[in-house]
This record gives sequence, structure tokens and C-alpha cells, in this order.
Amino acid sequence: MSLWRPHIKLVRLFSAVDLLILAGVAAVLFALIDVGEEWTGVLRPVAEIDLRPAALPRYVMLTLARGFAAYGLSLIFTLLYGYIAAYNRRAEKVMVPLLDILQSIPVLGFLPGLVLALVAIFPQSNIGLELACVLMIFTGQVWNMTFSFYHSLRAIPPELRDAARVYRLTWWQRFTQLELPYATGGLVWNSMMSMAGGWFFLTVCEAFVLGDKDFRLPGIGSYMSVAIHDGNVPAMAAGVAAMVVMIAAVDQLVWRPIVAWSQKFKIEETEAAEQPSSWLLKLLQKSRVLRWVDTKVWTPMMGWGAPPPVAVRLPPARSGVALPVVGWAVAGLCVAGVAWGAVQLIALLLTVPGESWWRVGGLTGLTFLRVLAAVVLATLWTVPVGVAIGLNPRLSRVLQPVIQIMASFPAPMVYPLVLFALHAAGIGLNFGSVALLMLGTQWYILFNVIAGAMAIPQDLHEAAAMYRLSRWERWRRLILPGIFPHVVTGWVTATGGAWNASIVAEYVHYGKEALTATGLGATISLATDRGDYPMLAASVLAMCVAVVGINRLVWRRLYRLAEDNFALTT
Amino acid sequence: MTKSQEIIGELRNVSQTFSQPGGRELKVLENISLEVRSHDITALLGPSGCGKSTLLRIFTGLIAPTSGAVVVHGQPLHGLNPAVSMVFQSFALYPWLTVAENVAMGLNGRTTDAEKRQELVVRAVDRVGLEGFEEAYPKELSGGMKQRVGIARALVAQPELLCMDEPFSGLDVLTAENLRVEVVELWRDATTDPNSVLLVTHNIQEAVFMATRIVVLGANPGQIRMVLDNPLPYPRDYHDPQFIAVADRIHDILTNALIPDEPVVVPATAAPRAGPRYEPLPNVHLGEMTGLLERVEQAGGTADIFDLAVEVGKEFGRVLSLVKMAELLDFVDSPKHTVVLTAPGRQFLDAKVNERKRVLNRQLRTLHLFQQLIELLQAQETGALDEDVVLEELAVWLPGLRPQSLFKTIVRWGRYAELLGYNADQRQVYLDRESTSTTTP
Repeated sequence: MSLWRPHIKLVRLFSAVDLLILAGVAAVLFALIDVGEEWTGVLRPVAEIDLRPAALPRYVMLTLARGFAAYGLSLIFTLLYGYIAAYNRRAEKVMVPLLDILQSIPVLGFLPGLVLALVAIFPQSNIGLELACVLMIFTGQVWNMTFSFYHSLRAIPPELRDAARVYRLTWWQRFTQLELPYATGGLVWNSMMSMAGGWFFLTVCEAFVLGDKDFRLPGIGSYMSVAIHDGNVPAMAAGVAAMVVMIAAVDQLVWRPIVAWSQKFKIEETEAAEQPSSWLLKLLQKSRVLRWVDTKVWTPMMGWGAPPPVAVRLPPARSGVALPVVGWAVAGLCVAGVAWGAVQLIALLLTVPGESWWRVGGLTGLTFLRVLAAVVLATLWTVPVGVAIGLNPRLSRVLQPVIQIMASFPAPMVYPLVLFALHAAGIGLNFGSVALLMLGTQWYILFNVIAGAMAIPQDLHEAAAMYRLSRWERWRRLILPGIFPHVVTGWVTATGGAWNASIVAEYVHYGKEALTATGLGATISLATDRGDYPMLAASVLAMCVAVVGINRLVWRRLYRLAEDNFALTT
Repeated sequence: MTKSQEIIGELRNVSQTFSQPGGRELKVLENISLEVRSHDITALLGPSGCGKSTLLRIFTGLIAPTSGAVVVHGQPLHGLNPAVSMVFQSFALYPWLTVAENVAMGLNGRTTDAEKRQELVVRAVDRVGLEGFEEAYPKELSGGMKQRVGIARALVAQPELLCMDEPFSGLDVLTAENLRVEVVELWRDATTDPNSVLLVTHNIQEAVFMATRIVVLGANPGQIRMVLDNPLPYPRDYHDPQFIAVADRIHDILTNALIPDEPVVVPATAAPRAGPRYEPLPNVHLGEMTGLLERVEQAGGTADIFDLAVEVGKEFGRVLSLVKMAELLDFVDSPKHTVVLTAPGRQFLDAKVNERKRVLNRQLRTLHLFQQLIELLQAQETGALDEDVVLEELAVWLPGLRPQSLFKTIVRWGRYAELLGYNADQRQVYLDRESTSTTTP
């Protein structure tokens, strides 16, 4: 009998699922070791890219590692920044407007400074370049996550907060049992959006030219850029396929399970009829090892297991975050850093001659027209298509995952294809770049139109049918006003993305030649290429001013109009 | 106070002021002194907006009073009141925790012993009749069940005093009735805590049914009108003449506070001023008020306010507001807690829709508030005023009320009577066409 016991125990502890999990953990560990070796390897600014398809999986893995490193960084930043902004009233006054400005900044404009600084810090190893790449992606994906977390914290119902205080939850318990769960829904959604946007920057950041220096990190982005440079069509196709597989796999293996799991944190009075589900999550929930980890490690860590025996004095609902000294020190450092940066920037900008400023102004106008054209054109096709999809539940169920993958797909990877078509049609980059801009940004509008169309109550459709509204009347009276608030949201995201994309869309490498359009984005790219830092600073500043200005002058008003007049609530 | 009773806690001269956007201060509670004793169910009874929930939160330590002191067992209170736990109007359960986990939250900071915790949670769940639901999530439960979880969470740590903030007002009538009986039973069980309950309610029947002491509060700002003992034996019966007598007494106190028989007394907040007073327009709708008048007419032109409230299923505070509006318009008279239809009231009811507008127009013009507003508008060349300007005036005229909500009420009634117009896009009030030609009486 004694021989049986351990065996039974083993069987109880492990199931087939657990073996899969172990295999998965082993694979991730192996990948991490490989990534670690790559990162800490001797500095090699231009990685040799192997265009054989067999080399692709490793490139995908390296790209994934960068993407997730950036995401991890974004999450940590989000939790810290959002928490302080939500609870420290004085900090909030500075931190929230700052966030608004930061999210309008064209990320790609910062690449040169960042790369030079980090390569200077780590002259001997690859880690400087890798960090630069990760930080670039970070700056592209963090802001909306932070906003979402901050807004969730501010929106926690007062009675749930009161309950936390009456039942003497400690700071950690309140964080893990109230604040984090409450913010999970928004955070998960924004994380998905951020990761999708991240791939865009990733593919651009992996291979770039800075003055006379060439930088290239091994990854799917550089694979693609080498394939394009060599005109290797099979390799291009393989690269696109690998990217699609990667995006779909991340969706299935990471986001789907998380979305399905996060349903439990939804605030709703009754259970919704249709719940998002994930085959992976169902599988994982059968795992014995994970269950053990959940009850023995996770739950105690989350705070219920062993609360402090004496009542803890809690800070009032909204006052300073504890850690005043550390907080002030960090705030002081930040202010000092920002001040130093500002002085440097101003010194740099003072070297820009007056006529250059005029030129930058004109170029900003040109790029603005392109952004506008891209958004208008995208709206023209996405509104009818999005409404058709949104009003047809079957269609939307089938098409939404497809659209999601298309939206996540980094547009610059297919620029050559579009350029080929444009070339054949005899259209130059000055107009053609509008198509490139649309490629990346139209999805945001499409998403929102679908969501808006789905949100129009059935009653209103029935009323329109009852009163025999003509097709045109129905659009004018019901559908367009109904989707308007959503479309505005889509526009805001799309224009932000389009400004950023102009940096890569107005200056494109096509085969061996570089195509240029006249505009602010091309100016930023060219200044980067030539190492003309004063011009770079001036044009990045112009873009920031344009984005923030348009946000303030146009979007905010439209938002208010949408909320006041077209919100579907009474 | 019987001999065995002791004072658990008390409020001494507590006042509470909240600052509003725009820097104005709104006084919610004024100079409240109150003892909470053991072996009592103390009901804080008053219409909405009398600050009774704020009062409860001050007592639990969730809010620190602007002035005055909270004393618990002879010691001034700093931070949370250690003797209490709380049941919320919206249940305030954490949706991502199961029933057992939500209940265990009540033990937080009290005991670390896992077995002890488990035992206490099982007992609390059992006391509220939720055995078998330990693993359910709140969204799987009905409203009544959710509130049972809320009660179990409050009971699990065996508090001396159970605070309940309108615990049954989010529930349907039958479920609420059922829970009322059960809470009284829990309290009457002398072997276990809580030995005292502090209940916030706007329901007179509920207060008389459950409480041993009833604290009647008045509004604007909240103040204690009267504290009365309710020694009726349990179980209580709504139809018992003694029950009805206690309820009637409270009716008198409340109606006298809200719609006094004598001319309106200037409240302490408004500076005594010569000349006519601005009428604090209750925030009600024409349709509601007309419906109520029709009920009174059907009842033969006179009805009891509280019977009316029960009949139409509305909070008595709401019904009082409707009566107050009708009385301002001279459509009814309200001696004690009866409503009597007046001649203008009958005329209004008998009229057709457009004629009703004319009557309403005439009656609104008798109000000082509308007279002043019309005068202001007539002084403008355009006959129109920005909303913000009017809000400023209203804040001066009626400092005790929220100007925004008063403004909405004025616009609503002005529109009904075709006296005023309001353009939401330009945020402007203007005189209706017909009103510009005539002068105010």
C-alpha cells in the first residue's frame, strides 16, 4: 500500500493540462534565456538578418519579448501614475494635464535622442539599443492605459469605498480587493488597444537610420525591412504571415483568456446573457497546479488570509498617498529633470533660424491637410460599412475578430505593397501618403462606428419603421446622430495615430530608393536621418503644438456637443 | 431610558456643511445632539435631503463633522467608530467576491485564525438564511438576498451597534417587509449582538414598525424636530390602533415641519429681510401634481396626506413636496395632514389643457419668485437672460437651495404655463411671447 500513495498523490497533483502548462512555462523560460543572451550580448548595431523562413520564429520571439517588456513597463507606470494622480489632489492638478500633453507627443520624434543616450550609457552591450526600442514602444502604449486606470479609480462608487473603510481594509487590501478589480475592465481593454498600437512602433523602431549610423535589432520588423530592401517577395510574404500568426496567437493565448477572466470584475446587477469565453481559460481552470497556486499563494498574497489583528488607521478617502518623503523626492527629481530638459530644448531651439520656423509652419499645414484627408476618407467608407456590420449581429460576430487582427497589424509592413499599387497608378507620395495614413488609422473609426451602431436601442429602429422613415430619413434622424459620439471618439484616436504615422508615411524606403512627400512628418524623418537635431526639435515641437491645439480647439468641443445633444441616455 | 440601558455613543452639537462648486456652502445638518443607547432600535426619520444619511456617516466615523463632537463610550471619536458596523442602501457588496468572501470582509482586522473565521462566517451566513449560497457571486442573487449578505457581513464581527442606511428602500415591498421582521428578530435575540440598531429611513411605517425610539428630522438644514419613544410591544401590527396613533403623531410633526399651517417661518439660514419672501419651489412635475389633485378630487375634495402617499406608493416626502407646490399655487389648503381642494384648484382640474395653462400662468404670477424673475427679464432689451446670471440671482434669493436644481424647476413650470422659454443651446431664459405684452400684477 505504501507504494501506491505517492503515485496517487502525483496523479492528483498533475493532470494533462498541468503537463501542458509546465511545457509552456519551460518554453517561456527558454525564450527568456535566449532573449537575455541577445540583450546582454556585445553591442552589434546592425544585426545580420537571415531571410530564410526557418529563422522567422526566433525573430518573432525577440519581437514579442520587446512588446511584452514594453507592456510590463507600461503597466507598472500606469499603476503608479494613475494611483498618485487619483489620490493626491495637488499632484492631480499637474499630472492629468501633463498626461494629456504626453499622449499627444509624436513618439517617433524622440527615437534619436533616446537611442544616442542609451547607447552612450551601455557602450559595450546590446541592452542600450534594446532598451531604446522598448522605451519607444512604451511611450506609444502607456498613456491611454494610465488614463483608464485614473478614471476607474475616480469612478469607484462611494458606498464601496465606505464599505472598505467600515470594514477596515488595509491599504494593500483596498488596492487588491477594490481598486484593482474595479479598474480591471477598462485596463484590459486599453491594454489590448495599446499592444496593438505597440506593434506599429515596434516594427518601425527595430530598424532605423540615424545620421550616418545604422541601427538594426534582430526581429520581425527588421526582417521585413531587409526583405523590402532586397525586394525579396517570398520573404515579405513570410514576414506578413508570421506577423498575422503572432497577432492571432497573442490574441488567443493572452488577451482572450484575460478578457474572459476579467468578466468577473464587471459591475453589473444581473448576469449578462452572452459572456466572452476562451478555450484556453477553460483549460487552465482545470489545472490542479494552478488551483493550488491560487489558494496557497495568490489568495493570501491578495490580502484576505492574514489581516493585521489590530484595526489599522486608514487615511481619509482622498488625501495624500502615504510616503510623503519618497513622494516629494520623486516629484522633486521629476521637476528637476523636466527643467533640465526644457533648458536643453530651448537652447537647441534657439539655434533654429527664423525662416526655418516659417517653413515648419507651412509643412505642419500640409501634413494637417493629409491627416484631415485620411480621416475624412476613412470616415466615408467606415460609416456605411461599420453601420452595416453593427446592425447585423451575425456579421459582427464573424467580422470583429478579423477586424481586430487587421487593426493590430502594423501598417508600415504593408506600405511597399500600397506604394507598388500607387506607383502603377502614377500617384506620387505627396498624395499617396494619405493612403498610407489611412491604412493604420481607419480601423479606430471602424471599431467605434460598429460599437455605436450596436448601441442604438432596438426601440428606436422599430419607431423608425413604424413611422415609415425613408432610408435617408432614417440615416439622418437615427443612425448618424446615434453613432456620432462614437465617431468622435474614433476621430480623436485616428487623428492622433495619423499624426504619428505621418513620420513614417511621408518618408518611405521603397526598394533601394527613399520616397519623400512635402510635410512635417517627412521633415522629422529627414532631420533624424541627417542628424539635424535643431530642426528635429523644432518639427517635433510643431507637431506637439498642432496635436494638442487640435485636441483643445476641435475635439473637446465636438465631445461636448456629442455628449450634450446626441448621448443615447435620458 | 430604562435602567439597563447605557449610552453607546452620542453626538454633541454636530453641524455639517458641504462646499459646493462655485465656492458656496450648503448647510446639511445644524446643531444636532443625540444619544444612541443599548437595547434600542433608533430610527432616524425624515424626508430626503434632511441629512439623515450624513448623520449616520458622522456617527460611524466615515465623515468628520464640521463642528461638534462624536463621543463613543465616553471617549471622543477619532477615525472609525469601533463599536459599529454598517449595512448600505445599495448593498455595497464587492461583485468579484463570493457571498462567503464578502461576509468574511466583516472580520477583517478582527481575527487571523482561519478556522475561527470560517466558523464565524458560517454562523453569520446561517443567521440570515443564506446557507447553500456561500459560493455564489452577488450578481447571481436577488436584491433581497444581496441585502441579506450585507447584513451577514455586518453581523459577522458581532458589533455592539448595527448601523443601517435605508437598508430596505432598494427592495420591493414584500421582500422589504420580510427583512424588516427578520432584522427585528435578530435584534430581539438577547443572546447575540447587535444589542442596538441605528436605522436611517424615510418610511414612517417602517420606523413605527421597527423602532423603539424615533428621531424625526426636518430639512434645509437638517435638524431634530422631535424624539419620541415607541414602547409598542413586538410583534407589531400595522392595523393596531396604537400603531396608527403613533404614526399619526409623526404625521403631524412632519407636516407641520414641511408645510406649516401658519405663514412660512423664515428659516435660520436666510437673513431676516423686509418685504415678501422668495418661495422655495419644490422640485416636482406638473403631471405628478395634477395626478395628486385628481386623487384628492376623487376622494371628495379632501384627503389625508399619508394615506395618499401609501395609496400612490410614493415616499411621503415626495407627496409633501407635491402638496407644497399645489399650496403655493393656491390649488389646495393643508390643515394638519389633510389636503383640501380650493376653488382655484377645482377650476384648474375642470379646465381643458389650454385653459389649465392660463390658470397656471395666472397663479405662477402671484409668486414673488416669478414676479422678480419677470421683472428682471423685462428690464433686458432682448427680454432674455443668460442662465448663469439667473443662477447668481437665485443663489442670493434662496441661499438654502441648490441654484441649478431650482433653476430647472423654474424653467419647467415656466414652460408649462407658457410664461418662460429656455433655449438649451444658448443657455438663455426668455419671456414667452404672450408674457411680454402684459405687465406683472
